Amino acid sequence: MALLEVEGATVQFGGLTAVSDVSFTVEPGTVRALIGPNGAGKTTLFRAIARDEQLSRGSVRFRGEPIHQLTPNEVSRRGVRRTFQNGGLFGDLTALENVLTGLHIEIDSSLLGLVVGSKRSRASERAATRRARELLEMMGIGHVADQFARDLSGGQQRMVEIVRALATDPPLLLLDEPAVGLAPPVRLELLEIIRRLVETRGTAVLLIEHAIEFVMTVSDSIMVLNNGTLIAEGTPDEVRQNREVLEAYLGR
Amino acid sequence: MRLTRRAFWLLPLLALPLPLVLNQYYQYVVNLILVYVLVGVGFNIVVGNLGQLAFSNVAFFGIGAYASAILTTKLGMPWWLTVIPAGLIGALAGCAASIPALRGVRLFYLAIMTLAFGELMRWSYIRTPVLTGGSMGLSVPPAEVLGWTLTRDDQKFYVFLFIVVVVVVCTNRILESRIGRAFQAIKNDEKAAAAMAIATSRYFLLAFALSGFVVGIGGAMYAALVGHLSPEAFDLVQLIQQFAIIMVGGLGSLAGSVLGAILITATPEIFRDWPGFEELMFGVVIVLVIMFLPRGLVSLLARIHPVFKDRFYQDD
Repeated sequence: MALLEVEGATVQFGGLTAVSDVSFTVEPGTVRALIGPNGAGKTTLFRAIARDEQLSRGSVRFRGEPIHQLTPNEVSRRGVRRTFQNGGLFGDLTALENVLTGLHIEIDSSLLGLVVGSKRSRASERAATRRARELLEMMGIGHVADQFARDLSGGQQRMVEIVRALATDPPLLLLDEPAVGLAPPVRLELLEIIRRLVETRGTAVLLIEHAIEFVMTVSDSIMVLNNGTLIAEGTPDEVRQNREVLEAYLGR
Repeated sequence: MRLTRRAFWLLPLLALPLPLVLNQYYQYVVNLILVYVLVGVGFNIVVGNLGQLAFSNVAFFGIGAYASAILTTKLGMPWWLTVIPAGLIGALAGCAASIPALRGVRLFYLAIMTLAFGELMRWSYIRTPVLTGGSMGLSVPPAEVLGWTLTRDDQKFYVFLFIVVVVVVCTNRILESRIGRAFQAIKNDEKAAAAMAIATSRYFLLAFALSGFVVGIGGAMYAALVGHLSPEAFDLVQLIQQFAIIMVGGLGSLAGSVLGAILITATPEIFRDWPGFEELMFGVVIVLVIMFLPRGLVSLLARIHPVFKDRFYQDD
């Protein structure tokens, strides 16, 4: 059984069909990319999986259970974590606190416990803080832990956002244009992080990306979306050779 | 870092000998400041931390004050036993005030709806004379604590100081936990907060309830301090004063709420002997602070030590 099964997904806004009858699966330990021209419906499809958007028809199953009726925070709680196209960091929080919000459901502190200063609440908050700091250090950005997220560079912000999404070790990661705006060396670093994650933890990654070389290198398989429909699917090499893709997407 | 943060808690210790040097009137002003510290701390949870333009604070304040007064006058409860119930009733009012926000009302729409809630409450105090004494107001007997009667303001001072320290310490613990982080996450980006598996509706409800609880306790203290409640004490001018406390002090900062309460409460009282001057100075102080310290008084502290660096509206 696949980790994520999208079946006949259709998203309509009034008379406009943004995503039309899209079906695919994502297996654990693989990277799948979703590419296509602007306005093809990639982000809408992402938002439908994360439940920011309502499916008009079709279903989304995660670990065999339907998730397309849940609220966004319930989808996240089940283990589907994401990053945002325009950066979803909390600017008024430090990098460390941002990662701590990623660990929110793993912290075992309660209102009453905090007020009376119970051992369990305090220990749990402290353990999470330690863990968050470790995660930042593992990604090589431990030195920015106590800086406000809004003061970080674009590349650092992207890394913090990825660390935040990864903090709970989720089975599925949705990355919306992770490489955009990154300098080439940082891009390479990101690529290695994703591959390492997939190979060592068995995480499944579904990503949207325009940087074509990045996509070709990082992905196990690629899906091409055009005008809301999947027009091709295959390994990077197969997609590169596909005539329809070249016409629709690469503009030849 | 840690040490300086602790040093802030020395402030109440330093305040302990105040009654020795203050006359009756200034003692009253200091007690009023303590009331407004809680009013500011509670207001700031919703506006500064959760980031919502919700102006139901005077409603919480009035409800807490009347709850305490009604419990003492109609049920004969000693004042100190009404403090927690006043907080809980304030929290209930907070839950009620969160309904528009829970239904997705935001920004200016939320502002006008919550303003209406405050005015509705003022109307209710006038229209239910059986409970509140209507427009004539409601007189409360001197506050009683564990069998002692607080007749003098210096006695009230120690009781108030104790309550304020306990409530502020507890609030601080909550705001520095995952709960406080969830509030700020919601303020910055609700969608991203939900993507962190934060049940945003729950935290909206919690922030409003917590705010109502803290401000409700402030209301109970107010009832004990002034001894007579009348509906016009909870009007829009009162709201402007409360809003000024958190704006002048610093949004989203506990230390800011304390500083704002001190400045906004003390200013008109200092100029009380010059009629007309007090309103003028109130305005001048607000304009000066907003002009020169747009992030509030707390940004002054941040220049002295980074631990006070206002994390929410940062002064670069």
